[in-house]
Amino acid sequence: MASRNTVERLSPLEPVYQPGLHGQSEHGAGVTLCEAKQGSILQLTAWPGEEKRMIAAIRSVARLAVPDGAGGGIVKNGKAAFGIAPGKFTVTAEEEGLAEAFAASLKPAIGTVTDLSHGRTIIRISGEKAEWVLAKLFAIDFSLPAFPIGAGRSTVHHDIFAQIQRTDNDSFDIHVFRSFARAFWKLLCHSSEEVGYEVQ
Amino acid sequence: MNPRRTATGGRVNRQRPVRFTFDGTAYTGHAGDTLASALLANGVVLAGRSFKYHRPRGLLSAGLDEPNALVTVMRGKVREPNVPATMIEIHDGLTVESQNRFPSLAFDIGAVNQLAGKLISAGFYYKTFMGPAIGPLKGTRFWMLCEHVIRRAAGLGRAGEAPDTSRYERMNAFCDVLVVGSGPAGLMAASAAAEHGANVILAEADAHAGGSANWSGETIDGMLAADWAADMAAGLRERPNVRLLRRTAVWGCYDGNTLVAVERVSDHKAKAGPGEPRHRHWVIRARSVVLATGAFERPLVFPGNDRPSVMLASAAERYANEFGVLPAETFIVFTNNDSAYLSTISLKKAGANIAAIVDVRQDVGEAMRILASEAGAELLAGHAVVATEGGKALRGVKVQRFNMTSGTVSGEARSLSADGLLMSGGWSPAIHLASQAGAKAEWDNGLQAFLPPAPARNSRWLGAGAFTGNFSTGGALAEGHAAGLAACGAEPGETSLPTAETTLGSPEPAPVFEIKAPGKAFVDFQHDVTVDDVRLAHREGFVSVEHLKRYTTLGMATDQGKTSNVAGLAIMAEARGLPIPDVGTTRFRPPFSPVSLGAFAAERYGDLRPERLTPMHDWHVEHGATMQPAGLWFRPQIYGLAGETIEQAYVREAAATREAAGIVDVSTLGKIAVQGPDAAEFLDRVYTNMFSFLPVGKARYGLMLREDGLAFDDGTTWRLGDNDFLMTTTTANAGKVMQHLEYFLDVIWPELKVSLVSVTDQWAGAAIGGPSARDILAACVRKTGVDNKALPFMGIVHGTIADVPVMICRLSFSGEMAFEVYSPADYGTHVWEALMEAGRPFGLVPYGMEALGAMRIEKGHVTGAEIDGRTTARDLHLDWMLSKKKPFIGSAMMDREGLIASGRIQLVGLLSLDGRPLGGGAHIVEAVDQENPHGSIGHITAACYSPALGKYIALALVEGGKARHGSRAFISDPLRNRYGPVEIVSHHFFDPEGSRMHG
Amino acid sequence: MLITCPYCGPRDLSEFTYQGDGNRTRPAPASQDLDAWNAYVYDRLNPAGDHNEIWQHSGGCRSHLRVVRNTLTHEISSVGFVRGDAHARKPGARK
Repeated sequence: MASRNTVERLSPLEPVYQPGLHGQSEHGAGVTLCEAKQGSILQLTAWPGEEKRMIAAIRSVARLAVPDGAGGGIVKNGKAAFGIAPGKFTVTAEEEGLAEAFAASLKPAIGTVTDLSHGRTIIRISGEKAEWVLAKLFAIDFSLPAFPIGAGRSTVHHDIFAQIQRTDNDSFDIHVFRSFARAFWKLLCHSSEEVGYEVQ
Repeated sequence: MNPRRTATGGRVNRQRPVRFTFDGTAYTGHAGDTLASALLANGVVLAGRSFKYHRPRGLLSAGLDEPNALVTVMRGKVREPNVPATMIEIHDGLTVESQNRFPSLAFDIGAVNQLAGKLISAGFYYKTFMGPAIGPLKGTRFWMLCEHVIRRAAGLGRAGEAPDTSRYERMNAFCDVLVVGSGPAGLMAASAAAEHGANVILAEADAHAGGSANWSGETIDGMLAADWAADMAAGLRERPNVRLLRRTAVWGCYDGNTLVAVERVSDHKAKAGPGEPRHRHWVIRARSVVLATGAFERPLVFPGNDRPSVMLASAAERYANEFGVLPAETFIVFTNNDSAYLSTISLKKAGANIAAIVDVRQDVGEAMRILASEAGAELLAGHAVVATEGGKALRGVKVQRFNMTSGTVSGEARSLSADGLLMSGGWSPAIHLASQAGAKAEWDNGLQAFLPPAPARNSRWLGAGAFTGNFSTGGALAEGHAAGLAACGAEPGETSLPTAETTLGSPEPAPVFEIKAPGKAFVDFQHDVTVDDVRLAHREGFVSVEHLKRYTTLGMATDQGKTSNVAGLAIMAEARGLPIPDVGTTRFRPPFSPVSLGAFAAERYGDLRPERLTPMHDWHVEHGATMQPAGLWFRPQIYGLAGETIEQAYVREAAATREAAGIVDVSTLGKIAVQGPDAAEFLDRVYTNMFSFLPVGKARYGLMLREDGLAFDDGTTWRLGDNDFLMTTTTANAGKVMQHLEYFLDVIWPELKVSLVSVTDQWAGAAIGGPSARDILAACVRKTGVDNKALPFMGIVHGTIADVPVMICRLSFSGEMAFEVYSPADYGTHVWEALMEAGRPFGLVPYGMEALGAMRIEKGHVTGAEIDGRTTARDLHLDWMLSKKKPFIGSAMMDREGLIASGRIQLVGLLSLDGRPLGGGAHIVEAVDQENPHGSIGHITAACYSPALGKYIALALVEGGKARHGSRAFISDPLRNRYGPVEIVSHHFFDPEGSRMHG
Repeated sequence: MLITCPYCGPRDLSEFTYQGDGNRTRPAPASQDLDAWNAYVYDRLNPAGDHNEIWQHSGGCRSHLRVVRNTLTHEISSVGFVRGDAHARKPGARK
């Protein structure tokens, strides 16, 4: 798979990705937007009753300790994992090849791995106004007590499915389908104009 | 200085003049003025013309209950009609027009309608315009004749035609406690809940928190109530757990304590900031709600009660105390209760003359008599106003003795002069949101008002203050505090409440709503409903409140009868000889106050839909593709050359594909990873044919039925591993198929170990087909062979193209030797370009949906146009796919009598016999009857020009189908005026043996 | 309206898809009892009051939920996963 590295991946945001300060930026940017490029994005599905063994597999293969419980997650060393549904987890890593690593070690009796490294685009929003901007688009509670750091949420903005992980106090990673990424990016920029945004 | 501005007082900023325009005339007001207060300050009392009779009207109220002073706000060419002047904050450059007048507000031709009053009373439209035409001036046809004249003459403001360029937004919020209304009760509730640690949202419809504290002139904790409220609001704003939303009207209460509000974010500014919305639509999910929405003062119903400068007593008090404006110099006050006396004192203190207080009650309490004399007013107890005098402004009133028991007037009419008449008919709590939540209003005979019931056991709202009928400020403070604690589940503790002065007088009005005297007496000002209209409704049998409302339009206008409902009911109750509660009240529905349509649309602007793009989208656009929507997706329709028509382009593309090779983007096909030990078993159950026998590295075409036995979707599924399948679906049905599969896995067969993940977006798909397709692949694919042995029909291989790993399956939709090349999406364009490069020497062309459609029609392949939810597998000649070895979804129902009947529509091909194009949707008939089109035996599902046949052809669903092969029929398409002969043939137009794709 | 998904917590109605009457029983896959199939495919209870319904949290975790909803008040008295629910284990389910 070494050959992959010689070809550059083309982001769906390419033509609309404009670094710099935009919108109401008199007092600086209220949010920072960027594409969080991850080499590996995958979904793990555990059969009912096998959730704990799946969590153990994530610990051993990705070295991430996912807390048990609905939407539990963790961000560490350029990797992240979080629950998206009963028995289902999203795991990401900066390096490529994580899906193969899981495929090699995950027993069929526990569950499956599905590579989505190209199928999902991760958009990161951070800054003081991140909760405010996201609240325009999603009907979920973004406040810290309701949505702790590391946790994940599956939700939707009209036709656009999103899995959202809180990666820090005021930082969120939004996983969207690649085909919707450009439309969502434009919408997110539009929604951020009011508070000013910087594209990194 | 404005002529009617008081020397001191009010909450406006007298240092900041604001310039605005009303009907072309420039005026000056102060920052903090509403349009209403600024117009009054300038001595403008004529604010609008009434809905039906075009009567001159002035301001009735000072808040969102205003029925009369509706104006049109101009933002450039964008018109916003029907905005109450009381809700517009003035700013420099504000431009406003009055409504429903021609040529001008002062001289309005439509006012002749007043003379025709008898003719256009309640039911006018029903009686004149509905039903059969009897004579020339009756009936529905007459309505069509008169409609545009009437629509012009009667009505509210005119909507503009310029597109609204403002931005609107939606906002989701969650809180423990939502407090609606920020008067003394609301402020106390918010503060108590916040101190207890709850997350609180406090919503205030006006520009400033404080509610009645801003204009009551009372003291709270030794301070002016308005200052106390400002301090409280400032304190709340500093708390991290409180969000104070000003200019935010909560207008709806829905299931699960979901409340909706509209915030006027930038209406009060000359220009919105960058990215700042005009209105923000709040959807607030609250654990509990405190309704502190206050109460509306009611007008009294008497002849001439709609003349400009006849106003609610509390409104005048508010203009004086909050805005430093006296709506008139000399007032007469007409009341059935004590609260008007307090308003009178406020006005006196602000510098007004009070000529008289006319009280319907003979017995006026001592405290009120003292207030009357303090105000320097003559007290006319046991009297009523029976007429008002003046034209477009009030000059005076006529009063007579009034007997409350008999409800009659008597004695000599006496004229009193004044330029302002204040009325107070008691108070109605604003119970709208509780009513929306399902609360049934209860009549309180003492307060003569509908009150909210005590909250039910499982109710998640509480009330406080005037909303509950507790009209004293001290009571509001205590109730607000208690409600705030209760709302967050806290126990009431020992707290010292702010002290308010004792409110003088009784909150209970006399049960008098109407003074019967000759002349037009208005119940509903905005819809021009008079007391005679209500009685007419009664005489004609429209006696239930719901009928009353619809027959007279009482309470139906933009103010939703805030000032008129109770009087209307009271008059109907009297006419029926029933107590008011027996007549009942209508249930309030959202919205409580008007909401801009833009706020509903919010961020869904433009074409309202997100664009879904394939990985090669930009390549297609750069290479001249015309993009075409397919659901949310955008796909190339054609890659047109200069001067080509659509038909020329697709014919060229399809012909080139059949001669050499063509390539099409198939990334939009739905792709579902079906994985797990039971994946094969699962597929056997959901497809009509067998998949468990499919070897790894092979694909198979599959058909799904619905539970009712009708065809649902088709596609190929590839076996990538023992437990690993890649299912493809049609582009249009991808979402539906996913839901269908998830349902069966979750609900019907939970014991199966199968996972389903949408991988549509993981893969870029390019289908390359044509006689040279294999040679092109051979030229660029590495690490695998693509010859017949390595890659047989329906075989799958893994290799690389231009250093990118690809998966290639040999299958065909076009009927040519064809391959689908799948690569990880971010490499899709890279692989596509490599294929184009490799194909150049072979004459490879990219083709779009039109050419794809033409080639599939030539081959007779079905799509969603044929699998339309009404056809069976047999109808589509797919019965060979129905396995007899196993049950599958739909197998039990597919053989029902009606689904196997002969004569059902069946898939056939059509050849145009007149050399002209055929159109999708056209009917097929055995004989053409252009005059009376009938006798359809089917319809065309898809049509094209076939480059392979050199003819116009179509697929169609026709009764009897196969039995008609070789016979002649006609198309009958009255909509497009297309008639002509066709020959019914097999749907396999081209290469029926499939020799080309098998190679 | 809010539905409290057992996995995601309370979510807006717009995230859910109604998936029909939860009282239906699917006949055994190989059953030829057309009346039973007809009842399953077409017959729906339409009670005024508590109704046993299936909803999918399609805009969230995509689980199917058994929801008891009062059709008169929209009050939801219980929500649980269909999967693992005894009610879901019907005679027709193949083991």
